[in-house]
Amino acid sequence: MTADSRETSQKEQVKTANREIYLPSERKNISGGGTPHVVAKDFSIYYGEFEAVKKVNADILSRYVTAIIGPSGCGKSTFLRAINRMNDLIPSCHTTGALRFDGEDIYGKFTDEVLLRKKIGMVFQKPNPFPKSIFDNIAYGPRLHGLNDRKQLAEIVERSLRKAALWDEVSDRLDKNALGLSGGQQQRLCVARALAVEPEILLLDEPTSALDPKATAKIEDLIQELRGSYTIMIVTHNMQQASRVSDYTMFFYEGVLVEYARTAQLFTNPKDRMTEDYITGRFS
Amino acid sequence: MSDRPVHELIKELSESLVQLSDKVLQNFYNALTAVKNQDEQQAREIRLVDDEIDLTEVRLEERCLAFLALQQPVARDLRTIVTIMKINDDLERIGDLAVHIIERMPEINSEMLDKFDFETMGHHAGEMTARSIEAFVNKDRILADRVEAMDEEIDAMHSAVFKKVARQMKDSEADIDQLIAALSISRYIERMADHATRIAGEVIYLVTGEIARHSESSYEKLIQSLKD
Repeated sequence: MTADSRETSQKEQVKTANREIYLPSERKNISGGGTPHVVAKDFSIYYGEFEAVKKVNADILSRYVTAIIGPSGCGKSTFLRAINRMNDLIPSCHTTGALRFDGEDIYGKFTDEVLLRKKIGMVFQKPNPFPKSIFDNIAYGPRLHGLNDRKQLAEIVERSLRKAALWDEVSDRLDKNALGLSGGQQQRLCVARALAVEPEILLLDEPTSALDPKATAKIEDLIQELRGSYTIMIVTHNMQQASRVSDYTMFFYEGVLVEYARTAQLFTNPKDRMTEDYITGRFS
Repeated sequence: MSDRPVHELIKELSESLVQLSDKVLQNFYNALTAVKNQDEQQAREIRLVDDEIDLTEVRLEERCLAFLALQQPVARDLRTIVTIMKINDDLERIGDLAVHIIERMPEINSEMLDKFDFETMGHHAGEMTARSIEAFVNKDRILADRVEAMDEEIDAMHSAVFKKVARQMKDSEADIDQLIAALSISRYIERMADHATRIAGEVIYLVTGEIARHSESSYEKLIQSLKD
């Protein structure tokens, strides 16, 4: 088979990919978790005329880690960013279908996106601490939401830094500028900052792609620590990372959710040929 | 689109496994011939070849472990490597069975051997092994199923040997040591067929991703065989 004909047949497969509602059947037992937290129904995202995410149907389960994988430009980051409406910043971006968080329509008329982003925190590829002290970085969100009591803020800062496994490294220099931290520490600071406003969901968009292996391992450990307390969604290009940290994995290709299954299942016995070809490196 | 070198590596490992299976099978057939002909020289050669088999098995396992560590395969690639490692283990054990057979050589004479048809039984078990490897090479689920079905015939043959030995042991003139040696040889061949059946099961896992071992029906079969 030539490269061209193989590509064509893959595209044909995309068109015929199953678009039924994906609900992984086997669920691990996490206390209080496993209920649909974010639900997509025929959810599409457009940039102008271009349909970047095509009629996705999926239930994201609460308190589990869900990884999103797929080649560049497949719509995985677009889908992730849609969950806390980060795509609103792009004027030509609009959506069809429904995306619900705890049963409420994320793109509903009366949805308050500031409140939405409080409940759905996000950490980006490149650590982006504010040019402020470590303390102020963490206290920023709670202050924005009206909290000014220094003692309460100090409690939140400590709790968040502890949850992000950073407290021991920075507790003696909270007043120092956050930009003085290493890249890995800055990224954990960003996780702590997201946790400070007590979100329910944490969206991680390639959170370790700018980090070295040691800092990456710490972020991965942190994801495992937070699993069970938060619903975590992580976009990653690193397939080993997806397989290490997640309970469920979604595979996107050309905007279509091709396969969504338990991570162990998807990485040992994927049901779709395209998933198989992608994760075994037969196309990228 | 051409395959990446990783798939070439898997192909090389598969080829090494097939070469090992050829060696193991030949040694097994030679063991049956050596016993039949009471050939001491051939018996010594069989032991030497088994040493080579053991070394090859270790080397192949090392290469598979290095592949797992360095390539971190997933999906079919992962299942292929795991399957190669398991079949490698089965082949090494079949190699040991050939040595067990020649170890019985001093305990049994031609007259006793003529009372049993170990040649047919051994050929059948050898066929099962060869077919199970063929199923691996071609990722042939149907052939793997057929190998599993062939095991029943070997079980029946072994059961017939068992009954014959038990009957003859009741005779006051019976040579108990020789009868036990005959029963042992039958048991070794039957175990070889079990390994071939395992290999077939591993091929089914490779093809389907489902572990077929110890399913409800196989438990029932096991209990039934214990009753028999």
